[in-house]
Amino acid sequence: MITQPATRDADADLVSASWTQPEAFAELFDRYSAMLYRYVSKRLGPEPAEDLVGETFLVAFSRRRSYDLAYTDARPWLFGILTKLISRHHRTEAARYRALLRAPVDGHVESPADRVAAGVTARAARSDLVSALAALPARDRDVLLLIAWGDLTYEEVARALGIPVGTVRSRLNRGRRKVRAALGDSNPMIEEE
Amino acid sequence: MDDLRLLRDLGGELEHEPPATLVRQRERMLNAGSRFRPARRWTGRWAGWWAGRWAGWWAAGLVAVATAAAVAVPVVLVGERHTAAPPAGARVVDVSGALNVLLIGSDTREGAGNEVYGPRAARDKVGKRSDTIVLLHLPADRRRATAVSVPRDSIVRIPRCSGRPARTDLINTAYDQGGSACLGATLEQLTGLTIDHSVEVDFTGFKAMVDALGGVEVRLPTAVNDKASKLVLPAGKSLVNGEQALGFVRLRRYGDGSDIQRVKRQQQLMLAMLKKAQSQAAEPAKLKEFLGAVSRSVRTDLDPQSMYELARSLSKAKVSFRTVPWTRHPDDRNRIQWAQPEARRLFESLK
Repeated sequence: MITQPATRDADADLVSASWTQPEAFAELFDRYSAMLYRYVSKRLGPEPAEDLVGETFLVAFSRRRSYDLAYTDARPWLFGILTKLISRHHRTEAARYRALLRAPVDGHVESPADRVAAGVTARAARSDLVSALAALPARDRDVLLLIAWGDLTYEEVARALGIPVGTVRSRLNRGRRKVRAALGDSNPMIEEE
Repeated sequence: MDDLRLLRDLGGELEHEPPATLVRQRERMLNAGSRFRPARRWTGRWAGWWAGRWAGWWAAGLVAVATAAAVAVPVVLVGERHTAAPPAGARVVDVSGALNVLLIGSDTREGAGNEVYGPRAARDKVGKRSDTIVLLHLPADRRRATAVSVPRDSIVRIPRCSGRPARTDLINTAYDQGGSACLGATLEQLTGLTIDHSVEVDFTGFKAMVDALGGVEVRLPTAVNDKASKLVLPAGKSLVNGEQALGFVRLRRYGDGSDIQRVKRQQQLMLAMLKKAQSQAAEPAKLKEFLGAVSRSVRTDLDPQSMYELARSLSKAKVSFRTVPWTRHPDDRNRIQWAQPEARRLFESLK
């Protein structure tokens, strides 16, 4: 029972190892829990984030036998589970956007000088962004934020949400179009990245 | 202006770094497999999980564990990283009121370090049996606790579980084939009690616990030199280490060779561990080591907070050890059946 090889295993190897040695799954937690936490903290705030990350790994753990080992990277799988769990918190998310609109983001701006440096336009843009996000249909927002905040590729988003890549593109374009419209920008040149 | 870049900036401002308490979610995940509540009985998937390697765990240390935890948990949790309040929304198991905890010690040889036990056949063919089955009953006032040992040679009615039909068989086959969920269901039906939690310990974990306690004292009426359990001990009192303690509770070819005598030895060892843990309450370093061994080797649905609550209330309790009343089975003198109405009365008294 060799559990600690010197080199880093692919995620898929850890998942398959966990079929017979459940503790191997803990390595996936160590790898990705912080990343998932940061993502939830952006969408729902820090309060529900810890519990949601825990839930995500509980679900992932219970479904580890149905993981498709052809995918070496487990991130899309984990983000897919997390996205489903986040959707149950749509009221929290909506309330968060409303709160952000009432009190503009300032949590991480250290000093008044920083605020000035951040610029009036950027802050104005932020409230436009927030209201645009709030207005997006959930499925478009999921795609947009998995890419912008989760750093997933189109293919990874497709896998996470179980939809074709073409659908990812169309949802992303629709989402970005609305965001740009809210920002008062309709440059047709940046239709797609 | 690039909308995606603006979005990323916004994300950067909204982002929070994970707190140290996130590690609790790791424990939650690893403990998830042992979650056992009658209201949410495991499906086939969970039962299958138990067919896996972590299926069996040695139970003999639990009472000692609980007592040690009463002192050590605050030291470990408060002393180290868990200074923050419990995470919002985390499910803390309610451990007030009367409780029944199923303790399972298993002779699984699948665990790392367990493969040196048992004959080669057993080592090759992965199997597990519940070597020790104890129902721990804690009344609401927690002044006394009753640990009822269930002889593993009991022939009982096993209800339909994990895809197998109801049948009459050895009680430990319920665990062998359906894991703790199936064993729990069987015992609930037999006793009429509701089992609230389960705790499972395996060979290696049990050894580690005894070693972390610095060994425990046992007493034997005659000397023993037994190959099967690899135990060599003189008559009288001996201070045994983890390895020997394991031999002691597994010893069968000794005295009249009955499972009942073996159960008595297991109870003796539990009591010895309890005493040792209590005597070490003044030495946080040793307790910490013990609790570390416990947390690595016990699988339970009790989170640290609940464990602490339970342990604190239990540390004052007087624990009495009982065995399910039994008689020889009419068809097989090597098997036993529960004596009625005595067994029923015993469990009635625990309701």
